[in-house]
Amino acid sequence: MLTRLVGGEVVDPVSGGTSQRDVWIRDGVLIDPPQGETAGETHDVSGCVVMAGAIDIHSHIGGGNVNTARLLMPEHHAAHLPRPANTPLSNAGWSTFQTGCLYAQMGFTTVVEPAMAPYTALHTHLELADIPIIDKATLAILGNDDFTLSLLRNGKSSAMLDDYVAWVVGSTRALGVKVINAGAAAAFKENVRSFSLDDTVPEYGISSRKIVKSLQASVTRLGIPHPLHVHCNNLGIAGSADTAADTIAATEGVPLHLAHLQFYGYGTEGKRKFSSEAARLAELVNANPDVSIDIGQVMFGQTVTISSDVMRQFTAIGNANPKKTVIMDGDGNGGGGIVPYRYKQDYYGSLQWAVGLELFLLITDPWRVYFTTDHPNGAPFTAYPELFELLMSSGARDAKSAELNTTALELTTLASVRREYTVEEIAIMTRAAPARLLGLKDRGHLGAGAIADIAVYRKGRDIAKMFREAALVFKNGDLVVKNGKVTHYRWGKTLRLNPPPDKAMVKRMKDYHDEHYGLSLDWFTFPDSAISRDEPFAEVKCNS
Amino acid sequence: MSVAWIGSQPVSLMDAIQNAAKLLASSRCPVFTLDTDVHGTRSAIALIERLGGAYDHALGDVLAKEVTLFTDHGGMFTTPGEARRRSSLIILVGDIPAAHHDMLLSWAGTQPDLGDRGKRTWFHIHGEMNAAAKLARQLKAVSLGAEGLSLGGALAVLRAQLQDRQVARSLGGIEQFRKALAKSQFPVFVFSGTSGDAPGLAMLQGLIADLNRKGRASSVFLPADDDAWGTALTSLWMTGFPTRTGFSNSLPSYDPVRWDVQRMIRDKEADLHVWVSSRGGETPPRGGTAAVISLSRTEAPASGAAVTIAVGKPGVDHDGVAYSSRIGTFRALAATAPSPLPSVANIVRQLANSLPGRKALPC
Repeated sequence: MLTRLVGGEVVDPVSGGTSQRDVWIRDGVLIDPPQGETAGETHDVSGCVVMAGAIDIHSHIGGGNVNTARLLMPEHHAAHLPRPANTPLSNAGWSTFQTGCLYAQMGFTTVVEPAMAPYTALHTHLELADIPIIDKATLAILGNDDFTLSLLRNGKSSAMLDDYVAWVVGSTRALGVKVINAGAAAAFKENVRSFSLDDTVPEYGISSRKIVKSLQASVTRLGIPHPLHVHCNNLGIAGSADTAADTIAATEGVPLHLAHLQFYGYGTEGKRKFSSEAARLAELVNANPDVSIDIGQVMFGQTVTISSDVMRQFTAIGNANPKKTVIMDGDGNGGGGIVPYRYKQDYYGSLQWAVGLELFLLITDPWRVYFTTDHPNGAPFTAYPELFELLMSSGARDAKSAELNTTALELTTLASVRREYTVEEIAIMTRAAPARLLGLKDRGHLGAGAIADIAVYRKGRDIAKMFREAALVFKNGDLVVKNGKVTHYRWGKTLRLNPPPDKAMVKRMKDYHDEHYGLSLDWFTFPDSAISRDEPFAEVKCNS
Repeated sequence: MSVAWIGSQPVSLMDAIQNAAKLLASSRCPVFTLDTDVHGTRSAIALIERLGGAYDHALGDVLAKEVTLFTDHGGMFTTPGEARRRSSLIILVGDIPAAHHDMLLSWAGTQPDLGDRGKRTWFHIHGEMNAAAKLARQLKAVSLGAEGLSLGGALAVLRAQLQDRQVARSLGGIEQFRKALAKSQFPVFVFSGTSGDAPGLAMLQGLIADLNRKGRASSVFLPADDDAWGTALTSLWMTGFPTRTGFSNSLPSYDPVRWDVQRMIRDKEADLHVWVSSRGGETPPRGGTAAVISLSRTEAPASGAAVTIAVGKPGVDHDGVAYSSRIGTFRALAATAPSPLPSVANIVRQLANSLPGRKALPC
């Protein structure tokens, strides 16, 4: 099957830049214009921007904590049916089915669930397999489990840590590794209530910094394409910018990705001792090429915060809105907290909103800043179109700022920043850069040989509308969205690494689970067939 | 051996499927009772959405109570694995279903290897003595209760006493409990949906919240039935809602009263009841005017059913995936005695393919 998209403005910073040219698809793959052949299907996309399908590197779309949030908040899902425009959380859709459809309608074709607890990997993959249309991937959480912490405490070799990390990544079918407030979940079980980069975990006597550095090195040695994905300590508190700055400084020449930096962009200035440190953090990121970050932008309205940072979520119980929460002390890296929250246009909400935008606009390299709301923590992913508009239009920012708390905004640099993202920069930030960061060579661009994940947007003055309703979306060459509506359902794959397991480590894991849980290892592992879909996984190669 | 029946007459599987599909297609209000593994549940919900029906679990009442704890209140929880490794003080709350007794008894032979590593001690808070009393005796659990107090009352008194508030009557064993609490770094309350009523479970979580103001404490939730809880979780990701969900105008809606399937049958709202049970030995409840389609692990037609189709049991006749409270998540089950009996998902797919339009299900 040969398909041709004619007359569009192709924006592809990796392969050919921006120009008006045709795009050709054969059997789900992009090809160079064929000589002397006629397309079986032609789409006139004149007046449209043509980009690769977008990639979201950090969105909580499936797994135990997401499902618990659904369980905790059924009323918010129900509430939106009669008035969807007024309930943004509900607009995000709560089911796996809606997740796939809503992402596809915006032109997103690959989404990463960034927090998979290894012991609940099967649950996560069952959910991801029920998300239609798009491809998915997960990051396995490490850094709070007894096995990792014991290895570090006991001074075991880096080779043994590598074997363990490889076993976890392989057995859980992950695409990378994430560490969440390293050591804090273990410390919280010992009644520790605050935890910084150089604090030590009781019982193990090792610091959070040691955990992060050890996992960062291990991920690099194993050739895992995505650098260690770090959720830093002290999320959300005044003064957290110092922690983020310390973590940025700790890269020491080795790549590191910092998640949702907006939640660390806070200083202690002002009457309320809560101010913006975004400009300082942006400067630090700009000066350190080993750091990449995603934002975790706050948008206003009801949401529910979902995090495996159980210590942080426990401290947030008092701010829950509505007043019901779940706090889970899970096994090892599992557990977390579910805390509903409403971002109001008050001092705090306004400041958080501005901090995120400052980071977006002051970090100069679009290859190292990623477009996220940390769905649903900062806002549901369905707020993306409005966020694109804020980034691409200083006028839209000014208009929104006029509605917000002026005292908060005066403590930020936002009003003075007039940068507007170009379409090319959007294409880098949401396509080319995520693909490169995750090691996905087959997507994020429109060069020959890439899979035909394509988003076509009708150009218009209303930027949010343009990105909310893609004119056409192709997934692996299948036309799945037309005029913002899903027209074809298909099942994507979950992208995974598959490092070979070390036999001695497998035996060690068997013994460990038998001794400490009284259960054989097969209680915690699963065959691909358990997902009950044809070829649910697609393998991504580690760097050699 | 027959695997399909129309009424009491053995028929081919294809005839039974066709007959059941006709009933589904002509039903004004089809309702489903589910009692199967994840993949059976997924396929059934996909079919129910297409039909515009509603569904519940066979143990819908106790499951609804457990769901209500989360939808209305929330709480603090931990896993059995973490409790086993970390908790030197475990408090059984009310009645714990027998399915969990072996696991709890196995903990008695182990010592925590994390946290305070103290010798494990057991308490049992209860109302009037119940089925867990035998388990409590086996575990040498200290009794926490008072004559005439319900479990909810006992929990309220315990909460008040731990806050040093005045109480009309004290719990037996309270001083011993205070001492144990002072020594333990991670006390864990073990409870189930059968432990008490919804306010009692909320009171328990209030007590745990109190303990977490200065120290640590948590709870292990052991569902009244693992498969029922697995069905609720599967329903959540498929529709956004737990069981007792129906599809109105193709959109899911959750209402634990409106979509209580037994009530719908009783009140003659439903005209077709599809009973889906791969558990084995379970039969659809009698009574009511709704026609019955039974997909169950059986060797004989279900009494009163218009159509009966035999299905296999996940983890026995075929592979499956089920919730296991032992690990607090889903577990892959390999078939222990593979048989030709079809899975629920297989039969549901055939039913969907036999409906007008013949559209394949997504699951």
